[in-house]
Amino acid sequence: MRGHWKTVALAGLGLMASSCKGVTLAQFADKAGTVVNSSAAATKERASCDKLNVEPTVTEEYAIGSAMAVHWVQGGGGLMAPTDGAKGTGVHDVHEYINVVGKNLGAQSARPTLEWTFGVLNDDKNFNAVSTPGAYVFVTRKLLSELDNESQLAGVLAHEIAHVVLKHSIKQYNAAKVSLCKTAVTMEAGIPGSGKLIASTDSGGNLDLDGDSALLGSLTEKVIEFAESGNDKEQEYAADELAARMMISAGYDPNEYRTLLRKTTDGSSLGSRHPKKADREKRLVAFLDGLKSTQGEFAELSLEGLHNPPLKPELVAAVKSTSRGGVAKDGK
Amino acid sequence: MTMRTRAAWVALMLALGFPSLASAVAVGGSLYVKAKNTRVMESPSPTANAVVVLQPGEQVKWEGADAKNKQWHKVKTAAGKKGFVFQSNLSTTAPNMELVVEDKGKRQVNPAGFVASGAAVKALSPGAVEYGNKKGGNHKQAVAQLQSLEKKAKDVSTADIAKHAKEAGLFPVVGAEATAKSGASKGKSKGGT
Repeated sequence: MRGHWKTVALAGLGLMASSCKGVTLAQFADKAGTVVNSSAAATKERASCDKLNVEPTVTEEYAIGSAMAVHWVQGGGGLMAPTDGAKGTGVHDVHEYINVVGKNLGAQSARPTLEWTFGVLNDDKNFNAVSTPGAYVFVTRKLLSELDNESQLAGVLAHEIAHVVLKHSIKQYNAAKVSLCKTAVTMEAGIPGSGKLIASTDSGGNLDLDGDSALLGSLTEKVIEFAESGNDKEQEYAADELAARMMISAGYDPNEYRTLLRKTTDGSSLGSRHPKKADREKRLVAFLDGLKSTQGEFAELSLEGLHNPPLKPELVAAVKSTSRGGVAKDGK
Repeated sequence: MTMRTRAAWVALMLALGFPSLASAVAVGGSLYVKAKNTRVMESPSPTANAVVVLQPGEQVKWEGADAKNKQWHKVKTAAGKKGFVFQSNLSTTAPNMELVVEDKGKRQVNPAGFVASGAAVKALSPGAVEYGNKKGGNHKQAVAQLQSLEKKAKDVSTADIAKHAKEAGLFPVVGAEATAKSGASKGKSKGGT
């Protein structure tokens, strides 16, 4: 799960009640009242946890992505719902437009066979967008309300698609698997589902998350914790470049991506790992300037015939509406 | 980066299925179809007849750019059919086909069969539904909303995407149909662009 356009910390979405950052293993063990196992056998078991760092199966990716999506939707105040408030858990029709724009980009990404799903979070305070493995992408109402045109919308969605394509969240998921495994082995702690996690080190490292919602919950919360630590600069630069590529591929003017970057702020809450917007724009300009074809070789991109379509008026009206459907925050 | 380190890095990237780096392709070389419902047209125009429709991962032989419309490229399919494909539909690198379910996540499984294979079928996973419902409160409501969202997302077809691209002045990349209309050579393709 990534949060890339945020102007505030992901904690602003209320996704995690607490964080283990800065807490040592011994401190954790002491607080948890568990036993630290420092035996040779435990050391060997900890090393075997690295076997969990494998590419997930399709169902495994869908499962962790789905659970993370539940987290983001809950924490983001729910999905934007019909404004008349009389349609139960239905979602607003602006979702159709978002999915047309997003699925067009996803269908020409490097993972065209994913079933991409795009949603609008009710959050009207935070300028933010996030994504999960298995291809869920969410943007906040606040972000949508500040867009000038469809090219900028495409830029946001393409940036999140890029993180999924580049499997940045999968790296966090794998790190979460290994981390939970090592914690469970070291502290003999009762982490829900950890028994199956440890056992899978001897069976290829893939997990049946649909068969163990406790393990799925433990891993989901660990991945979200990692996501909260901020985004790696190189991952952000890579996502920016791939987003620009996707925009050009679809026919959008990538200069609108630069305008989009300027709408973000360099909040200190983002952490030192997150690049400054000026550096991101500089990298983007360098990439666009370097786009030239070599005689006799196939060029995947050219800057000819690009357009900058307006946003659909229905979307503008809907996101600026003061009415909020969706999920009321209850602190859970 | 030392050679050994670089080799280890490349091996790791491949093992985890990360996209590979682009490579140069000259006339006569192979290109990959990257977009869904990629139409091979009789002439370099989005309104021409579709000779055949290809899917991500299929390979074509590149025969160069059209002299007048340089964003259209002459190609020859594996089945020997010739035509023109829009620039954005082609790539020098293979797309990731990991979601062909019968292969349990491995890549390169019959790209043409992808559309009919159910490979793209996804729903909020049973484990996530159980996880959200057990947590209760607005997690449970989030599950219901996501299920509603997925239905809406699935209802967005490639025909909808192609229609929007045309109306918004975008490139004709994603075709409306997964197959070329029979008798396409006699009439205009309904490729949605």
